[in-house]
Amino acid sequence: MPELDSVIHQPVRLQIMAALGHLGAREQVDFSFLKNTLALTDGNLGAHLLTLEQAGYIAVEKTFVGRKPKTFVAPTASGRRAFEAHVAALTAILKPNKIS
Amino acid sequence: MQLSPEEAARALAAIETSRATMRSAIRAYRGHAHLWLWGIIWIAMAMLAQFHGPAGIRLFPWLVGAGIALSMVLGSVQGNRVRAPVDKRFLGVLAAVLVFAAIVPVVLRAPANNQAIFAYCGLVAMLCYVIAGLWFDTYLLWLGLVITALILVGLFCFPAIFWWWIAIFGGGTLIVTGFYIRYFWR
Repeated sequence: MPELDSVIHQPVRLQIMAALGHLGAREQVDFSFLKNTLALTDGNLGAHLLTLEQAGYIAVEKTFVGRKPKTFVAPTASGRRAFEAHVAALTAILKPNKIS
Repeated sequence: MQLSPEEAARALAAIETSRATMRSAIRAYRGHAHLWLWGIIWIAMAMLAQFHGPAGIRLFPWLVGAGIALSMVLGSVQGNRVRAPVDKRFLGVLAAVLVFAAIVPVVLRAPANNQAIFAYCGLVAMLCYVIAGLWFDTYLLWLGLVITALILVGLFCFPAIFWWWIAIFGGGTLIVTGFYIRYFWR
């Protein structure tokens, strides 16, 4: 029986992991793009990304494009697995007989 | 951690909303612009060959060069938002394909007309699509295979209307696929 993940379950982090889960295996997304897509603020997104990074669920890469600093974000393999397990746990609450 | 079914349903709905938002946002970076660009270039080359013959064909390298330059600009602009780090092995494979594709006709001393040369270059490009499809995103694999088949059918079955065939089924397929990727792809 999959278990709920308290790190992922927080609404904004849930939103972030759901969005990042849509990226391809090698893809990374720009911080500003993610912020605009999810309609979050810099501070809010930054704080939640830090929590997810500390949990090992996302990888953050800081780089320069031209002379501008850029931050790219991607889910890690363990982050994808944890998110899928969390979704399975949520689904199991709705459909306990079907999952078990 | 305990949740009621209502809370779980709300969380799943939020996940679906977030996925749909990201899906829609990210489609703009899946390569449709490159397909539109090359679709237009294929149509332009075919029409130049159709209406201006050898004089038009002499412009092909310029069109291809412009296409490569514009593709690089597009890739650079789009890479500011969504990017996939460059895979050196993939670039190595593409370089090997192109080098060998340039050597083979010389070794075979292949006599060829303009249609055959265009078809050959198109097939090499489609081989690159197939490899990219196997490496990155499956739509490129299927697109490469479909256009390969269309090129061969045009070359062997409809040589009299080859350039129209390439414009409609080569360039047209690239452009239509670009629309599909932009608006409907996952």
